[in-house]
Amino acid sequence: MAMKAPDSGGSGEILPITPSLSETTSGVAAALQSPQPPSSSSDIDTIYVPSYSRWFSWTDINDCEVRSLPEFFDSRSSSKNPKFYLYLRNSIIKQYRDDHPRKISFTDVRRTLVSDVVSIRRVFDFLDSWGLINYTSSASAKPLKWDEKEAGKSAGDAASEPSTTVKETAKRICNGCKSICSIACFACDKYDLTLCARCYVRSNYRVGINSSEFKRVEISEESKIQWSEKEILLLLEAVMHYGDDWKKVAPHVTGRTEKDCVSQFVKLPFGEQFVKESDFEDGLEAFDQIKGSAIPESEGIDKDGFSPNKRMKLTPLADASNPIMAQAAFLSALAGTKVAEAAARAAVTALSDVDEADKNASGDPNRQETNAAPSGETTRNDSERAWADAKSLIEKEEQEVEVAIKETVEVEMKKIRDRIVHFEKLDLEMERSRKQLEEMKNLLFVDQLNIFFHTRKARTSEDRVEC
Amino acid sequence: MKGLVSTGWKGPVKFRMPTAENLVPIRLDIQFEGQRYKDAFTWNPSDPDNEVVVFAKRTVKDLKLPSAFITQIAQSIQSQLSDFRAYEGQDMYTGEKIIPIKLDLRVNHTLIKDQFLWDLNNFESDPEEFARTLCKDLGVEDPEVGPAVAFAIREQLYEIAIQSVASARESRLSKKGRRGSDHGSASKASGLSMDLMKLFSFKSSVVRKRKDLDVYEPVVDLLTSEEVDALEARAERHAR
Repeated sequence: MAMKAPDSGGSGEILPITPSLSETTSGVAAALQSPQPPSSSSDIDTIYVPSYSRWFSWTDINDCEVRSLPEFFDSRSSSKNPKFYLYLRNSIIKQYRDDHPRKISFTDVRRTLVSDVVSIRRVFDFLDSWGLINYTSSASAKPLKWDEKEAGKSAGDAASEPSTTVKETAKRICNGCKSICSIACFACDKYDLTLCARCYVRSNYRVGINSSEFKRVEISEESKIQWSEKEILLLLEAVMHYGDDWKKVAPHVTGRTEKDCVSQFVKLPFGEQFVKESDFEDGLEAFDQIKGSAIPESEGIDKDGFSPNKRMKLTPLADASNPIMAQAAFLSALAGTKVAEAAARAAVTALSDVDEADKNASGDPNRQETNAAPSGETTRNDSERAWADAKSLIEKEEQEVEVAIKETVEVEMKKIRDRIVHFEKLDLEMERSRKQLEEMKNLLFVDQLNIFFHTRKARTSEDRVEC
Repeated sequence: MKGLVSTGWKGPVKFRMPTAENLVPIRLDIQFEGQRYKDAFTWNPSDPDNEVVVFAKRTVKDLKLPSAFITQIAQSIQSQLSDFRAYEGQDMYTGEKIIPIKLDLRVNHTLIKDQFLWDLNNFESDPEEFARTLCKDLGVEDPEVGPAVAFAIREQLYEIAIQSVASARESRLSKKGRRGSDHGSASKASGLSMDLMKLFSFKSSVVRKRKDLDVYEPVVDLLTSEEVDALEARAERHAR
């Protein structure tokens, strides 16, 4: 099930829930048998929740909540615990549903919840972006709001998905005959008209417009899958400048929608992603050398996906200046370890196939022999190929294991070092307290002495007076 | 001499709120072009500073205030935060202090009066938890009372923490050798703290004296709208 925002238009299935004041309702899809509470809305409102938030339940905490709001789950502070998170989340949702369909604002919520306001805001934003509050079924018009921390691309993607569908359907419908323009169309920017070829030829447009005002726009070219070199160059330039902001990249690459840009960018061979400052041509030269490093990079994705214990293990790659790596890291964290694992495995096998083809092409001695006699030795080819495949896979596994072991050892060492430092600190504290205790004892003793001398003096002076 | 009466003298601690979460109480009272915005909430000082502006914008948008309030709100929050942070580097003595905390607040239609003892030395205390439990136990329906109670408690704890920083500074300045006993006398002089020994020694019992019973009992009053208006009018007159 997709863990992020809907990826196909704004029309994911929506599930209706009847409102209820009871906190123990389980699961969103359950039909609630409780009677209509008298204080809430008079007619039966159903509250809609988008299908990607189907996981929500009053009593449980889902993985995506743990991932998006780690501050409540990392036991750093005793009061910011999961129970507290449940309290915040359930109160916010209950408050919203009590007053449905009025939209609830952050200030309404934070006035009624006992907590520091920034935590409330984070939970509120989380629920808002997942459509658990303030969600109207006509939400396709409104782009989803995401935290600033989350990578721009997915936000651009999610926000542009509902809008690109709108854009695409509005593409190129002829104003004259109301049919979808197929091969070529003529656009007049001055009056914002679009005519299909037939209408243009037949002069099927308004009086007063000159035929010269129309510009010919090739549709087939636009929807052509082939990207010209010039367009790829523009795309790379734009990505270097704007990074993940696909809304700005798309107009820079004239004639391509955001979706096309993104898909083309992902399809580009990895080597080109490492070109930062250098020229495009230099980049192409470096491409061959760098391609070798592309494999370990994809293993990096593997490791990211494989790491089971630490959640949100973005740090190795998330702040890499490379947008693709950051994106992969973010997606793998968002989608969960199993999904990322499967995706990464598939990627690695695909890459290794490509690699194999390269290796075979560049003259592996075994292959050359078999190539010499292609006709009668098809089976030998197959087994050679399989053997080469297995060998490369084994090598990769070994490398992976080595790196993993190295990392584990480093982490253990760091842990031990930290513990040592901590104990040293404790030792220091002990010393300090002991010294203080000594001082106090001394002071007390001095006081006692003073008092003793005083009383003694007083007694002797008394004696003297008496005498 | 009698046996050493241990006052459990702890070394000076770095200033912080003596609660589990180091949250700062923030009070806002901004007047601008005839509109008045009063608010009180708690803030976590370890949140990044850009949160202040985000919060200010959100609040102004939600309450439909004129946008000039954004900078004023942000400034006010920032200055209170920096006051708090200025104290943070300094030392404070906590000692064995049990202090009475008084509640006397009116939130919408609910009036709460209460007094209870709070252990200043307990750095795991949680005013928010206390406020939630209080409202639940007393059956308070208005959900805005909880945050107000937590805020009032925090404000008083903050005041006392500031005082203890000041007294720590004083006692360090008047640097005679008797730091331990001096500190004890200083805190008694503040009049607020109670000696644990006195409270829980063999002679007195743990049961509260009858004359104190009324003081320490929580009182919740629900006011009618006219009473609310009367109280507000009186407050305005006092303010002027």
